[in-house]
Amino acid sequence: VIQRTIISKVCVYVLCPVQFSLPVSDPSRGPHFTGCRSREQETFRCWWSAGIFQNLTEPGTLRVFYQTKNALSEWQECPDYTHTVKNECYFNKTFTHIWTSYCIQLRSVRENITYDETCFTVENIVHPDPPIGLNWTLLNVSHSGLHFDILVRWAPPPSADVQMGWMSLMYQVQYRVRNASHWEMLDLESGTQQSIYGLHTDKEYEVRVRCKMSAFNNFGEFSDSILVHVAQIPSKESTFPTTLVLIFGVIGLVILLVLLIFSQQQRLMVIFLPPIPAPKIKGIDPELLKNGKLDQLNSLLSSQDMYKPDFYHEDPWVEFIQLDLDDPAEKNESSDTQHLLGLSRSGSSHVLHFKSDDDSGRASCYDPEIPNPEDLAALLPGHSGRGDNHPLVSRSSSSIPDLGVQQTSEVEETPIQTQPAVPSWVNMDFYAQVSDFTPAGGVVLSPGQLNSSPEKKKEEENEKKIPFQLVSDGAYTSENTARQLSADVPPSPGPEQGYQTFPTQAVEGNLWNGEYLVSTSDSQIPYLLPEAPPVPILPPVSGYTVVQEVDAQHSLLLNPPSSQPAICPHSPNKHLPAMPTMPMGYLTPDLLGNLTP
Amino acid sequence: MNKLKVLQAWLWCVSLWPCWLSHAVPLDCKDETGSLAQCASISQEKLLDRVIQHAELIYRVSEESCTLFEDMFVPYPLHALRSQGGNLCHTKPFPIPGSKSEIQQISDKWLLHSVLMLVQSWMEPLIYLQTTLNRYDDAPDALLNKTKWVSDKLLSLEQGVVVLIRKMLDEGILTSSSIFEHTLTPYNEQSPEVLESVLRNYNLLICFKKDAHKMETFLKLLKCRQSNKLSCVSY
Repeated sequence: VIQRTIISKVCVYVLCPVQFSLPVSDPSRGPHFTGCRSREQETFRCWWSAGIFQNLTEPGTLRVFYQTKNALSEWQECPDYTHTVKNECYFNKTFTHIWTSYCIQLRSVRENITYDETCFTVENIVHPDPPIGLNWTLLNVSHSGLHFDILVRWAPPPSADVQMGWMSLMYQVQYRVRNASHWEMLDLESGTQQSIYGLHTDKEYEVRVRCKMSAFNNFGEFSDSILVHVAQIPSKESTFPTTLVLIFGVIGLVILLVLLIFSQQQRLMVIFLPPIPAPKIKGIDPELLKNGKLDQLNSLLSSQDMYKPDFYHEDPWVEFIQLDLDDPAEKNESSDTQHLLGLSRSGSSHVLHFKSDDDSGRASCYDPEIPNPEDLAALLPGHSGRGDNHPLVSRSSSSIPDLGVQQTSEVEETPIQTQPAVPSWVNMDFYAQVSDFTPAGGVVLSPGQLNSSPEKKKEEENEKKIPFQLVSDGAYTSENTARQLSADVPPSPGPEQGYQTFPTQAVEGNLWNGEYLVSTSDSQIPYLLPEAPPVPILPPVSGYTVVQEVDAQHSLLLNPPSSQPAICPHSPNKHLPAMPTMPMGYLTPDLLGNLTP
Repeated sequence: MNKLKVLQAWLWCVSLWPCWLSHAVPLDCKDETGSLAQCASISQEKLLDRVIQHAELIYRVSEESCTLFEDMFVPYPLHALRSQGGNLCHTKPFPIPGSKSEIQQISDKWLLHSVLMLVQSWMEPLIYLQTTLNRYDDAPDALLNKTKWVSDKLLSLEQGVVVLIRKMLDEGILTSSSIFEHTLTPYNEQSPEVLESVLRNYNLLICFKKDAHKMETFLKLLKCRQSNKLSCVSY
């Protein structure tokens, strides 16, 4: 029920003008109310206009009826049509009820037409009278004599019963320079006085005040303006020097600042615009780069972590790893990596296959490349290779290297990736002799001098770590490393031995900087397989022999007739004179000097 | 905005007055032993002043809440409802006269009782208003805070009026609002539709503003009579 009544009332009330308390008539309309006002919340008046209907301007034709919404009483006619004012209806105290909704209607009784209707409550149409008794007093004048403050006072309108609390008023003070267009407005004030600050002397001001009911927004009329003027007192204190001093001080400061900036320009530039540091590599002097001292640079770089020997170890692996996948018997489930790492290997027989590789730039027999001892071990008949067994996988020495000896022992493999320190090194010749060439261009190795003495093997097995560092400057190990290696190796049993087996962990590809020796076809296998007919047991031959002496023709003599010369047909290193036993196989420059007659 | 700050500061100061009230003029000034202890007292005039300040603040806050609600939720054509003073405000047990002359003839006793009745009749509708406002999606916090504040201060006002009644009229009175429950059933309805809820709340706020004005007016009249009987009598 409430909802319906609210909605219906909404439809009715929307047609009503919201604000119509100003008595301004709208000539384009028919008869309508022009406004209702109350001054003190005790009486109120309403005005209307006949509009364009000029025939209704005669008094009495249009009549006002009102109804109070409280009791839903009947429509009553206006209690008092003001005689002095045209078209005004006056409601006196007895007819004025606050907190009550009024509805008024403008009717033409003769025609029984209602031209206009509006509803309101009395509080909402109250426009209080202006305050009275506006005056001002001077509060103070500033030191400079240019500004002053005043206190403005007033009294509430006499019609508003403030004392009883019938009306609670709020006041608004406005002021402006005389005859200016814009009024300055101050905040609402509930009291009856207000201070105004910052007025200029020598200027004339107008001040006025108006009021409204505290909870409503209908301001009353303004009071009459009062004039405020304070004459400027000539100040004894002169402000001139102060300003001058200030200006000069500022100028001096600016000059000082400029001087400072110009004198310290360089330093300031550094502070504000620091130079961008040039790129640097730790430990490397940029001067080296400039002067082109590449040797030092190389040594520096090689000592850096990123240039570890591992780095150089990797390349040959990547380039030269060849795995023979043709032999189905050798194909296992195990991955290449495992083979490489030498993991989980059982003591099965291996066959190491070499694939022919035409495009890897393999070294020929001329290059003093060092074949991998493991490769050689695999080549030996004692080995049974696994097809995808990495040639560089080291094996336990026990399985190596007697010719014709069947490989039965467990192959012990160590991870390739271990650092130079871990060796299950191979007890075999580091070098192998090339015995023959295959028609296809492959190389057949003959088993070199094998060091099969058990004590040696044990010694070699006992070697835990052979620290050495390999430098990638060739297939040969450096002098130092070779010395190191050889230091751990017991002296060779005999000159026939040729080169000692290096207890190396040849896993580090650094040693093996060259190419693998490949067999082109399986036809070469018979030379390598253990099942093969017994390999012709060649006398222990090493592909390299010790230079013994230099003969008169300035040719190097290899081992004396007791030792076999190098078979390599194209090898220039033949007929070298025998040399005193040297712990290593290299010919050092000083030794060469000794040889020179 | 200075005035607003002053008002707020004043508001906070005044919000403490229930403490003074309960402390100064306690409803039951007894300690644990049951004997009448020495209580700090406040004069009747000061109490009345503070009650009037309370009523003034409630009136102003009610007007601000109404404006906030109107700006936020009420479509512009319906703003005319406000000048019509709110229709169908819930009826009171006894009518309150609207003309000044009639009001001036009301006795002190009836003034105080009317104020008390008004205060008590608005407690539950304001709670209802708060719950519905909380259900609105975008009710501004200022509005919610104001309605909450008004609910709280109404309680304080009720306490103060009760004390005044006891002091000025020497009557004991119950502070329960149970007698008004039957008039509040319309406000317990669920609001199915948003516009209806908005209009209902708008009407509620308008009616509350009107009644707050009544409270303030009555109390001021009472004050006027206390201080200067002559000027407050109608002529």
